[in-house]
Amino acid sequence: MGKELLTAAAGETLLLLGNEAIVRGTLEGGVRFVTCYPGTPSSEVPDAFFRLSQGAPYYFEYSVNEKVALEVAGGATLAGLPCLVTMKHVGVNVAADPLMTLAYVSAPGGLVLLSADDPGCHSSQNEQDNRLYARLGGLPCFEPATAQECKDMARDALALSRELETPVLLRTTTRINHVRGPVVAGELPRDVAPKPFVKNPARFVPLPASARPMHERLLGVLEVAREKAEASPYNTERGQGAIGFVCSGVARNYLSDVLAEDGLEGTVRVLELGMTYPLPENRIAEFLGKCRTVVIVEELEPVLENEIRALAQKRGISVAIIGKGEHLPRRGEYATTNVRAAVNAVLGRETPAADTLAVPGDLPKRPPNLCAGCPHRAAYYAVREVFGDDAVYSSDIGCYTLGFLPPFRAADFLLCMGSSISAGAGFARASGKPVVAFIGDSTFFHSGITGLIDAVAYNHDILVVILDNRTTAMTGHQPNPGVDTTIFGENPNPVDLQALIRACGIEPVKVNPLNHKATVAALQAFAAQKGPRVLVAEYPCPIHARRVGQAKKTPPARVVGDPETCLAVRDNLACPAFAMEAGVFTINEEQCDGCMYCVQLSAAIKPGKKEAR
Amino acid sequence: MNRARIFLTGVGGQGTLTATTLLARTALDAGLPVTSGEIHGMAQRGGVVESTLLIGGYRSARISQGEADVLLGFELLETLRALPMLKRGGHVVSNAEAIQPVGVCLGRECYPPLEAVLETARGFAASVVMVPAISLAEQAGTAKAANIVLLGAAAACGALPFDVAALVRSVEKYLKPKIVPLNLKALELGAQAAAAGQAA
Repeated sequence: MGKELLTAAAGETLLLLGNEAIVRGTLEGGVRFVTCYPGTPSSEVPDAFFRLSQGAPYYFEYSVNEKVALEVAGGATLAGLPCLVTMKHVGVNVAADPLMTLAYVSAPGGLVLLSADDPGCHSSQNEQDNRLYARLGGLPCFEPATAQECKDMARDALALSRELETPVLLRTTTRINHVRGPVVAGELPRDVAPKPFVKNPARFVPLPASARPMHERLLGVLEVAREKAEASPYNTERGQGAIGFVCSGVARNYLSDVLAEDGLEGTVRVLELGMTYPLPENRIAEFLGKCRTVVIVEELEPVLENEIRALAQKRGISVAIIGKGEHLPRRGEYATTNVRAAVNAVLGRETPAADTLAVPGDLPKRPPNLCAGCPHRAAYYAVREVFGDDAVYSSDIGCYTLGFLPPFRAADFLLCMGSSISAGAGFARASGKPVVAFIGDSTFFHSGITGLIDAVAYNHDILVVILDNRTTAMTGHQPNPGVDTTIFGENPNPVDLQALIRACGIEPVKVNPLNHKATVAALQAFAAQKGPRVLVAEYPCPIHARRVGQAKKTPPARVVGDPETCLAVRDNLACPAFAMEAGVFTINEEQCDGCMYCVQLSAAIKPGKKEAR
Repeated sequence: MNRARIFLTGVGGQGTLTATTLLARTALDAGLPVTSGEIHGMAQRGGVVESTLLIGGYRSARISQGEADVLLGFELLETLRALPMLKRGGHVVSNAEAIQPVGVCLGRECYPPLEAVLETARGFAASVVMVPAISLAEQAGTAKAANIVLLGAAAACGALPFDVAALVRSVEKYLKPKIVPLNLKALELGAQAAAAGQAA
């Protein structure tokens, strides 16, 4: 998706990814300031803003982490600009500290926080339900279910935020971020004037004395927001009868498709909630009053369920409420299958047995893998060669988490972004075992550096290997503070990673991980030492290098000697370019990146001819 | 066919998402309501990439097991792996050729034969069409066009709610001008192969 997001006229139909629709929606809402930390499934939002940023009517940055992103935008909304901050669900944990006070301090220019949740853990370490953050922090919450709603709700969330001067949560899930559907564009505002900042410390500085009235003010704002939810066009009711369904998020789609396909549409009552916090209590109570039984259909935590149960009790409404249970679990994604079972159960209908094909369970797997030419593979090979299974490996979040897989098995535990150094330090202190922590350059800037400062301050016995591939590879090659180059050319303000480490009090050793001998020698020297140590294994991600036009053109490696002598390299390096053809080891020239690492490991492998590329 | 759930599966780098978007645009241009979904993230590192296309007024972009009217498999093993998604009486259109996963490359796992797909689907699928998409794409000019070969095959054998001509219009309208002739050739070769495969 290119310029259309910035240029499409009102009324035009665009085919958009949910995340692109959010970009268009906030632009229609007049967004002028966008910060983020990338993370699947949110990344296409900031990536589109970044791609379109030159000459665009907004400021954009990939912030160092989510906390910084929210704080930078928190300042910008105080200065009166409409803001968008994007992150994945676990990123909100990082930003939770400013978030919990932001609604007290208020958001005069408007601020929408996009939280992209990941039920089913498609690309995340947990499946936490961030609708709970709306309750905890006092943020009105919108939950779109289609690409069109992503656009419309993003726009309206920003408008509501600006009107009430309070931050608003736009909560999506993976299936919604990555839905693609037609979106009818609306008007783009021409001029968005910043609201002038008027000094008023009692309003903006939450000292205990001012925080107490600020909290009271926030509760008043939420009551106004509740009235908005009561009248919101995103909360709709249809159908008839004594059986009702209340649903939110992507579950709305599953319920609709089941009712339509099974000929039940119109025979039951449905209340779809798109603006889900504050709860439109009158509207829900009225709905409950018309039903004998109500089923709450929502993915993950029983958030609506518990609130609706409390509402029924408070209002004295006698209605059976069915929520989490056999057909509607508290974990994982929903689908038409489990929603159909829940619908049939309450209607006393049979659910036909599944009629599906079975395939053998032992099909060859196709796990995601480190790419051919990936410098992480070389670094892991060298670390294994020096430390084997003697060391405990503390891993972190990035492409290099894939080192978890054999043959490297270079991840023994992992908590969250930036935890490798600090959790590794704690493990080393408690166990006395040698610990190697792996962390990428972007993750180190994000939150690894605080762990390193701690390791220096308390002399933790840990070897930190910074896998510096000069980009944020996992989430789509976004720039981080240390990068040399972006899609727009040279980074004008790079932060010097090694100087930063030096300033913490450690003299790092830098190697090119694709130089096997030098890397092993550096690791062996470190293995004999104690205390905090840092190896910077620096080599650009080959995909990123190709994208920014800095890839070196090298010939592919070729097996020239006895292939039988290469089998240990095959098994211990496991490069995707390696293949067996008719039982004989070979290197696939199409796949080979020409990194020349295997050439250093076996005399039977040599660089091929230049013209082969 | 006015309503269809189409499940697409392939390997990272094969262009299954490009193909999915092209189909979605074609459906939209044909005036059909469409919603599409994709799951990626870790998948781009040589893993499996799955996507969906639901035509005719579905709200959900997710397809559950046993719901797919059409299974488009861009790689043979992934077609086999995705067969549980197929609805009884559904159509399978698959690349007959393999992209070997690492375990097979390294001789630790065995790649299933083409017959495994045919045998599993027999009696359940209404039709199974196999085309050598990578070889045909190479014939068109580059192996990368295997995704478009498969679309040509799928449209030609009636598995999609629009014909090859509609795909031709989409290729001309939505792909970069430089690669249009090559992809038109890929469509044609895929369509021919499907017609020949059905006749056989």
